[in-house]
Amino acid sequence: MTRFSKTPLLFFAVGMISMGSSLWGETKKKSFNDFKISEEAADLLENYCYSCHEDGTEKGDLRLDNLAELELNSRLDLLNKMQEQLHFEEMPPKKKEQPSEVERASLVSWISDELEKHNASKLEDKLRMPDFGNSLSHDKLFSGDYAHLKPYTPDRRWLISEFIFDAKFNQLLNHKPIKTIDGKRQTVIGDNNRRVNLTNPFLLPTNSGVRYYDTTTLNGGHLLTMITNAKNAAVQMTEHLAKRDKRYLPSFTALMTEEDRHHGILESRRRYLDSFIEPVLVDIYGSKHKTLLPRFEQVIVKEAAAQGEIKKAPFHAANPGRDELVLIFRSMRRLKKGGDNDKQLIEKCEREWFNFGHNPRKVQARITFLRGYMEEWRSQIEQHRYDEKHKPLVYKPHGEAEMKIISSTIRKHRKKGDLYQTIIDKCMTDWEEQFKQARLQAGSANDEVIAALIAELFTHIYERPTTPEEASKYLSLAKNYLADLGNMHGVQKLIQTLILRSEFVYRSEFGASNPDEHGRRMLSPRDASYAIAYSLTDSSPDTELAAAAANGKLNTRDDYKREILRLLKKRDQFYVIDEGVQRIQLTASITNLPIRKLRFFREFFGYPKMLPIFKDRKRFGGDYDGSKGRLVGEADRLVEHVLKNDTNVFEELLTTDKFYVYHSGDNEAMTASSKRIRRIHEYFKDMDWENFEVEDLLKHKEFLAEVKMRGIDVSNLAKKGRRNPIREFKTALTSFALRFDQGETAAAPFVSFPAHGLYNASTRTGLQLRSPEVAKFYNIQLDHWDYPGEQPAKVENRKGILTHPAWLIAHAQNTETDPVVRGKWVREKLLAGTIPDIPITVEAKIPDDHHSTLRARLASVTEAKYCWRCHERMNPLGYSFEIFDDFGRYRLQESLEHPDNLVKKGPDKAANHVDLRDTYKNLPVDAKGYLRGTGDAALDGEIKDAIDLAERLGKSARVRQSIIRHAFRYFMGRNEFLSDSKTLIDADMAYLKSGGSFNAVILSLLTSDSFLYRKAKQPE
Amino acid sequence: MTTRRNFLRQSALGAGALALPASFGAPLGSTPPKRFIFIRKSNGIRPNEVALPSFTDQEKSLDAKRQPLEVDLDKHELPEWMRPVAAHKANLSILQGLSCKMSENGHWSYSSVMGAYKSGRNSLSGIKRATIDFEIAKLFPSPFGHVELSLTGNYSTFRTGIVSGYSAPAPHQRNYCYADPQTAYNELFKSVINPDAVNSDNAMLKFLEGEESFKAGVLQGYEKLKLSNHIDSIDSIRARNKKLKKMSRAIAEHLPKLDAVHADGGLNASTPEKQAAMTDVLVAALVTGLTNVLTYTIDELSTPIKGIPGNEGDHISIHELGHNGGYSGIPADKIREKIRFGHMEQVATIVGKLKATPEGNGSMFDNTVIMYFPENGEGHHSHGTEAPFIVLSGDKCHLDMAGRYIRLPYHATEGHKTIGNWYTTLLNAHGNPTEHYGDFDLETARKKIDQVGSIKQLMRL
Repeated sequence: MTRFSKTPLLFFAVGMISMGSSLWGETKKKSFNDFKISEEAADLLENYCYSCHEDGTEKGDLRLDNLAELELNSRLDLLNKMQEQLHFEEMPPKKKEQPSEVERASLVSWISDELEKHNASKLEDKLRMPDFGNSLSHDKLFSGDYAHLKPYTPDRRWLISEFIFDAKFNQLLNHKPIKTIDGKRQTVIGDNNRRVNLTNPFLLPTNSGVRYYDTTTLNGGHLLTMITNAKNAAVQMTEHLAKRDKRYLPSFTALMTEEDRHHGILESRRRYLDSFIEPVLVDIYGSKHKTLLPRFEQVIVKEAAAQGEIKKAPFHAANPGRDELVLIFRSMRRLKKGGDNDKQLIEKCEREWFNFGHNPRKVQARITFLRGYMEEWRSQIEQHRYDEKHKPLVYKPHGEAEMKIISSTIRKHRKKGDLYQTIIDKCMTDWEEQFKQARLQAGSANDEVIAALIAELFTHIYERPTTPEEASKYLSLAKNYLADLGNMHGVQKLIQTLILRSEFVYRSEFGASNPDEHGRRMLSPRDASYAIAYSLTDSSPDTELAAAAANGKLNTRDDYKREILRLLKKRDQFYVIDEGVQRIQLTASITNLPIRKLRFFREFFGYPKMLPIFKDRKRFGGDYDGSKGRLVGEADRLVEHVLKNDTNVFEELLTTDKFYVYHSGDNEAMTASSKRIRRIHEYFKDMDWENFEVEDLLKHKEFLAEVKMRGIDVSNLAKKGRRNPIREFKTALTSFALRFDQGETAAAPFVSFPAHGLYNASTRTGLQLRSPEVAKFYNIQLDHWDYPGEQPAKVENRKGILTHPAWLIAHAQNTETDPVVRGKWVREKLLAGTIPDIPITVEAKIPDDHHSTLRARLASVTEAKYCWRCHERMNPLGYSFEIFDDFGRYRLQESLEHPDNLVKKGPDKAANHVDLRDTYKNLPVDAKGYLRGTGDAALDGEIKDAIDLAERLGKSARVRQSIIRHAFRYFMGRNEFLSDSKTLIDADMAYLKSGGSFNAVILSLLTSDSFLYRKAKQPE
Repeated sequence: MTTRRNFLRQSALGAGALALPASFGAPLGSTPPKRFIFIRKSNGIRPNEVALPSFTDQEKSLDAKRQPLEVDLDKHELPEWMRPVAAHKANLSILQGLSCKMSENGHWSYSSVMGAYKSGRNSLSGIKRATIDFEIAKLFPSPFGHVELSLTGNYSTFRTGIVSGYSAPAPHQRNYCYADPQTAYNELFKSVINPDAVNSDNAMLKFLEGEESFKAGVLQGYEKLKLSNHIDSIDSIRARNKKLKKMSRAIAEHLPKLDAVHADGGLNASTPEKQAAMTDVLVAALVTGLTNVLTYTIDELSTPIKGIPGNEGDHISIHELGHNGGYSGIPADKIREKIRFGHMEQVATIVGKLKATPEGNGSMFDNTVIMYFPENGEGHHSHGTEAPFIVLSGDKCHLDMAGRYIRLPYHATEGHKTIGNWYTTLLNAHGNPTEHYGDFDLETARKKIDQVGSIKQLMRL
């Protein structure tokens, strides 16, 4: 123990500073005699640590020479940090003498033992987390030295994702939305606008990179939400779906037969009495009927105040609602006699409504409405053909037996002065009670029906039959529920119970075969079918895959291969890529690639993260909010395009200079739309169209009828209300002329003015292609754009997704770029590097100085020695992106946006081709940096800018392997172990041998031992 | 591992927290919690509608020019529509000059106004963070955590039952809310009025706990942990239900009496009747200790207005009022004023009832903050440069603004404050030290004017 008071410790400067003051306050308080340090560990600490971290030196405000004196929790915290720093080889610092691998392991082992005594080790949990994926040495993984290890994944439950949640409930609740895509009606998956009110509790984190890991466990928040979801789903299944379609839950329908029959009778009687109570009463009571009626009490309706200059609310904003209008109409038609004026008619209606027992407020509202809007109302009756749509109800008796029951019950209950509604209510209560007693006497449902219902529910909810034990257990539970709550609520409770079981919210992946010589067992065929289906889609296995699992055809690697290849080739199912994108300006966010294949790159690059970033329209210089959905949608389209080619996928994504800009993805349609504008322009350009009158336009009506222009119907060119065809013609021609006045050869087919009707170009879902201002992100001027109908097409000063504006915005701040975040992304995602957490004591703030560039300001706080140790892994990469501003626009000068630097104010509003930006003083951009860490001397070195960086990254083997590591995590849902070395090397080889096919990578990963085999335990 | 305590913390206002408790409020004898009522109204509040009629010429001029201004309310008359709260002037503040451009969505704001971000209709991805009410509810836990009420509709009829709400418990999530007084009553006071339903839930949870425990018994390591979390979660909900049962006597004492017109969703109830009944439920939820934070959408543009005094028979569309349409010869502005008057009557009832409920050496109101504010700024089609807040706060709340009319510097000028600053003030004053809540105003940012943090002069710590 004495050693602790003497020798200083060197390490833990970075990431441990936060321990400083809070620990030292506690040091003298308590001593824990049970804390022992092994002889070996003490020597190692002395040799490698004390020189920096003891009383007197305390580098990073940290000393480790008094561990024994620390209060237990503080010591455990410190040991955890020590364990982490040693494990990740962050300490001792690289320039200091390093312990051997054995020595490091020995020290870690001692710390682990100490932590284990108190069950306090956090390292194991941390290593499972996505942030620690790169902590395993890349060189070791790909060296081949570990390729002999036998890969496997631990047996596991894997909490469902937000996407699987939606797919499961959509399946359960028969939600099958249809969209028109490329002119055909198609079912789509991923459109979750269900009728049922469900809250998705399984949201994935919003970081870029792999988001869906098997480490999340169900917590209280999930379960609380699922209780409400289960209730709502149960109501939908029983009260709506099963009622609408008797095949949905046939045993439930059988169980409810008697109740449904009674309900049908009751409803039929209610409808009958609601419609014909008066003639029925007259039939029963004859002339006595009138004497039994209640005394009429008129409602009070105030006279309207004098209207004067006041704007009167229009009919649509003052009527009492559709159902009320129909009721009023029926009363008016029935009671109208020739010669009645409005007042008399209204009074007759009121009497009828009173006798019926309608709520006085409703009657008051009807009369107020009729008095104020009779003229408009009559016009509506005619216009909307009320007479035709709502035929008179013709009274006839309801059948002899029924009429006998109805008559006798009415006689039994009617009292003098009863309103009609009171009589109906009394009868209904009587009949309901009679039916209830009849059902009670008939006894409870038989076990066969309940057992069959349980089997149906298992099929719906778990997509499998019950086991004998389950059948017995759930029969007993269901009988209790039905006895306590009645049939309807009992079944609803049973459904809730099944949805709340862990089986519904967890995917199950357990080994099932006999273990091999390494203790590994292959996935059960059923679990394998789900593992494969959820790898490529969010849905459970399709018919073929489920059949393969059920029929013994999912037992070998070849079986897996056959099914995976089939699913990869499947193109008959469309998916919504992102509902958020779809809602912005009608963007068509769809694909028919297996959705998870596309989603890997979407999440890996993280460009959709730009959507919630709140950015200034004025600084963008146009409609930013409208354009952002299109920008993300077109990034998706680019990824889809590269994936469909499936050749050199990583290199293409990192280095392509071809992009989609304001394009639907349909080259033929976009080219035709562009050509049409040129044709119209060419036709009129030499005419005096600016001074055209209607008669001039009529001279060209054959041409106009052929080309069709927005807002111009040649058969009706007269000006009416807001419609002004000649103005719209000139607006369009002016806009077309702008697109060609600088020698352009093709025009972007955007609309010239907002209006309903014809579009210049459509999305693949048949809606107007909007937001041409997306071009502004690429420094393209709308009035000076040789629009390429064939896309993706070359765009200047761009290279790959990292130069796509969506990625650049997603990795920027609201008003500035972010070289640190961009550099960190490259380091971690492409170079398999690690960066320690930011120390808590560091306030991550870039100083304000409106005379300097962001780079200069950032350098002033991050290039100090202490900070640079980490920042040198990020900044030199991130600086290279400074050739793009925070909207992703290419630039050579950085605008120093500050009121003091304002040179010229831009307009606040203007046509979409005008740049609304204010102009500020500026300074030249310095985008130079350097690349280290590719492991390839030909690629490492000084870089000119992000385009230079992208070119080098595209050639790097380490980058390729880093993407494969992320793909591994995405498809396996976990970090790689050293024992996965062979899987990774195989996937890398598959990519190389196939000429850069991502399908080959997926196939390799999903047929690897890591995917096929399970073991009960985590590896050491 | 998720312990029982962790579970409660995670579930405190986790996803869909309606009727789902975090933990129970302060035990008897301890410091009472603070309570917050957020009352959202539609169609904006125009700044001149809250200007004081008795302003001096100089004050009037400053107010009209949107210049900073502060006056004591006790020396002034309130606008006519605020007359119902005149008796509570000492607790009243009129806060003018806040902006909400970052949450302004045109006619409706959905979750935006209470989250200080722009989230569109039905767009869960637009919900960037938990709304301010949920953030505050974390500071003052209670069995229900947070309760949301609303009176909304489809222009013709009111919504009823449990429907999607406007508040957000977490990013990308929308809360549920009770859409009619009877449903709110049935759900909030279920442990008293429908113990069979609670018992049946408990029976189900017990069964589930048994099932999962059996499965967990054969597992080990991390997999066992996953199932034990599942079991802990079930166990904790059962524990909450037990505690609610224990509270049933206190709940029974304060049960409001709802008129029969509210049965089955209350299709025949007039708008004022619905509001009055909702007020009764709201007060009872606070007094019984079921929640400390309530959000109440008293109307939105599609809420039917039926049966208001002077226009009893009219079927009024708030949206149409925004387009200046009048009813029964009464101009839109006058009807708008009457609607606000009706709202103030409800606020006055809430204040009165809470003041009449003893707590410690004072009343429950001492620890209560009530905010009445427009969901979309200053008008029917708003710009968001102004978002007036009417605040009533008790003496023991940590706000220093009662009894004053305060106009803050105008949008994007030095010293200007946004709703984000105001929400930060509420959080900082009550124990959440966050640096700033909400998105920033982009015009203020462009002008490089500092806009981070709370409005210090309104805090009393």
